[in-house]
Amino acid sequence: MPQAQPGLDWHGEDVTIADVLSALNRVRLGFAHAEAGDEGLPHPRNCVMTLVSVTPNSVEETRAILASTAIARQHPSLAIVVRDEPRVRAGRIDASVMVHPVDQQNHPAPCELVVLRVQGAAGSHLAGLVDPLLVSGVPVYMWWLGTPPFGSAELNDSLRICDALVVDSSRFNRPYNAFLELAEIAQKSHPHLGLGDLQWERLAPWRENTAQFFSPAERRHLLSGVGEIGIDYAGEGRGNRVGAALLAGWLASSLGWKLQRAAGGGGGVVAAIYQADGWRPVQIAFRSVTKGHVMPGEVSALRIAGTSAGQSFTLTIQRDPERARRAPGAMFADLHQSGGEDDAGIELAQRRAAQHLIVQEQNREALHHTATGEAPGEGIPSRPKVIVSERRRADTSDVLLTMITIGDSETLRHVQRVPPEDEASILQRVLFMGARDKVFNRSLIAAAELLRSI
Amino acid sequence: MSTATQPNPLAEGLHDYRVADPSIMVIFGATGDLSSKKLLPAVYNLAKQRLLPAGFAVMGAAIDDLSDDAFRKRAADAISQHSRTQPIDQTVLHAFLSEAFYQKVDFGKPDDFKALHRRLDELDSSRHTAGNRIYYCATPPPTYETIVEQLKTAAMTTGPGFHRIVVEKPFGSDLKSARELNKIVQRVFHEDSVYRIDHYLGKETVQNILAFRFANTIFEPVWNSNLIDSVQITAAEELGVEMRGAYYDKAGTLRDIVQNHALQLLALTAMEPPVAFDANAVRDEKVKVLRAIRPLAEDEVAHATVRGQYTKGWVLGERVVGYREEHAIAQGSLTETFAALRLFVDSWRWAGVPFYIRAGKRLPKRATEIRIAFKRPPHLTFGRAAAADLEPNAITLRIQPEEGISLRFGAKVPSAGIKLRSVTMDFDYASSFLVETPEAYERLLLDCMIGDPTLFTRADEVEAAWTLIDPIEAAWRDDRPQLQFYEAGTWGPPGAAKLLQADGREWHRP
Repeated sequence: MPQAQPGLDWHGEDVTIADVLSALNRVRLGFAHAEAGDEGLPHPRNCVMTLVSVTPNSVEETRAILASTAIARQHPSLAIVVRDEPRVRAGRIDASVMVHPVDQQNHPAPCELVVLRVQGAAGSHLAGLVDPLLVSGVPVYMWWLGTPPFGSAELNDSLRICDALVVDSSRFNRPYNAFLELAEIAQKSHPHLGLGDLQWERLAPWRENTAQFFSPAERRHLLSGVGEIGIDYAGEGRGNRVGAALLAGWLASSLGWKLQRAAGGGGGVVAAIYQADGWRPVQIAFRSVTKGHVMPGEVSALRIAGTSAGQSFTLTIQRDPERARRAPGAMFADLHQSGGEDDAGIELAQRRAAQHLIVQEQNREALHHTATGEAPGEGIPSRPKVIVSERRRADTSDVLLTMITIGDSETLRHVQRVPPEDEASILQRVLFMGARDKVFNRSLIAAAELLRSI
Repeated sequence: MSTATQPNPLAEGLHDYRVADPSIMVIFGATGDLSSKKLLPAVYNLAKQRLLPAGFAVMGAAIDDLSDDAFRKRAADAISQHSRTQPIDQTVLHAFLSEAFYQKVDFGKPDDFKALHRRLDELDSSRHTAGNRIYYCATPPPTYETIVEQLKTAAMTTGPGFHRIVVEKPFGSDLKSARELNKIVQRVFHEDSVYRIDHYLGKETVQNILAFRFANTIFEPVWNSNLIDSVQITAAEELGVEMRGAYYDKAGTLRDIVQNHALQLLALTAMEPPVAFDANAVRDEKVKVLRAIRPLAEDEVAHATVRGQYTKGWVLGERVVGYREEHAIAQGSLTETFAALRLFVDSWRWAGVPFYIRAGKRLPKRATEIRIAFKRPPHLTFGRAAAADLEPNAITLRIQPEEGISLRFGAKVPSAGIKLRSVTMDFDYASSFLVETPEAYERLLLDCMIGDPTLFTRADEVEAAWTLIDPIEAAWRDDRPQLQFYEAGTWGPPGAAKLLQADGREWHRP
């Protein structure tokens, strides 16, 4: 955890971006001298990227600060966290700047954190707020927590100043609609704009095991014999099918299948027919399966079956059914029941749960005010509290069981552990190749096509 | 084109390793030290990273009479004790052990190999491994011949699937023994299936040397004798000989480090651009460089090389004994623990550029790096006084411990008037890419599983290196130049500094 150094941090209220910039430069200079090397000369500054996190409220702001400082701790970078509240009428910007040494062997490198709390109209000019602070010549990644305002000028302007937009489609407020809008960006945006999705990254083990099954040269022909695909997901309602649709979209777009028709039924069942090799039908079916250890929206099993050259085969990948785990983030789920497969009901319930978190946060501030006598909204926290200790959620750990049957042979079982990963590690993997993943882009577009046609 | 030879469309965008074909790795000497300390823990860590394909299995083969379960018990202990990642993940360990088997094999008995063959065939059908085999010789080099011959006799090197053999360094102890070893292995295995493992080459920065040189336009035009003054290659270790005394006392630094690691680094630094980053194109160019190194005639060895041995001293704040007091070292041993060489590459590109190599044990710290020193600017625009503190440009490629690259250049000191000094721009490999760099040994095992021999040493490379080392070794055994002593924890004997001073240069401090 970075230790605060007196004189190296800055906090300002009702400030301009010019104030923030000059504070940032001042704090950087202070750091360079405080961390001067053997010869008393300032150590050269290192920066591998600027990570701009845009957050709608204080809960998400804390998440963004945690993840971006965890990354910056290993990779000298500038992290800008913006709490964007354009709807608050009284416009003002509060800001804080911190520069701390990160743990680089022999080389003190800075972890720079700028937190902007923007209220009022300025918030809708996000690009203008962030642009002056960016480090020239290094990539800019924009991580949008919550749901980006798709189609808005604010988002479009922001995309112009960044190299990639990263979202988590499993945390969208209106997962179905927002996902379709995300796919539109993939279709329309500039080819140089990277697009990343934490949900897609979480699906990687499913893709790896599937690809691996077809990898040996002597099994490659099985690809042209795939006849049926079944995907189990948790939760009902179309918003929860996004992950399953991404997997289906990946398979279809990778193998050149064309969607023929699709239909949804009761109990979250979806059936789609694709056409492969110009004539061969492939059926993809989703079903909603409730399991204690699987969160709504998550995929719990994938089954691929078919016959090729007289040889039948089945590949099944599933989460270890033995495991039980507490659904993360479901703090208020019991208070706000989703009410079956009604989309509106689910979204309403989710929004209520999110609102509940915000209210809880506000209450916390009010309580603080009562206890300390400080003006509301000022006392907590005067600058964001940075907790960068490992905060891996033990309950994200999973065991994947892969079962392979080819012909009459006995079923081969392969067990893997998908280790617990926090948001920062998943984000790092998305950013690893600059969030440029054409496979994701085409899978996203194919998934959206499927979802739209149901 | 058949579908089988086309790339797997589902593998696009995924790491190669995630889609390796399933195979059975047979570990000869599975109950020995190498297997327990390095191999089994490495394979466990691969399983932990989800890098082993479904169906992959390990078959231990050694003289001990063990059941599958007894071998699993041993493997579990070895992994728990030696895995680089701790604590052990019991789910992964359990899954890994269920894919581990054991067969007693006396290397002298053909019947044992036949029995092994039968076991492997059985596993093939239950694990869908399609006959793919990796034979890992975790045994001393003298056993290679027997193992290879037995594999051939038992028809275990033909049939469906791939058949690869992995051998560890040292690849011979001189040119003659290396040639013999190559001949034995090549009698049975095609050279493309022979994986000579040298973990140094698995390091990311070693490969990064090639990326740095050939993926950028700005470095290659200056990478020659017109602008480069000299090249220094340092492979320093703070450790002593540890438990390897018996081996080390016979080998010495020249054979242990210079013949393989240092010459490999030299080859990668000096090689011409390969036409592609594939196994043979890269290795062809490396061999050309090794062959272009001017051999040292016996009378040149005395003034172009330095050999040293450490005496007691202090390393990293701890008192350490001298080499001759180490465990299993012969009394009055003359084996070198430090070697420094000046070599020239006789090619158009490198004419007249000295390559200085130094390698040693019980030096002040662990550091492996390549330092490219450039020539001074032809004219001092700013005058001698302003440029007094200015060093020539230099590029340092750091291999370990902290993989990275730094560039030194001149800049104006901020003040009235003009004064220059050198500043350094630093690229740190680990922090620039937002992922952990893979462990070298594990990376090489995976390369072998997917069939990429680029980072393994080819027979002709081994032989070219020995051709160079043999005359030096011969002169050294003749005590020319004389063995010099250095205090443990210093940068080698005085002769090392003098070697460069004679050329008007000095060693770079890593």
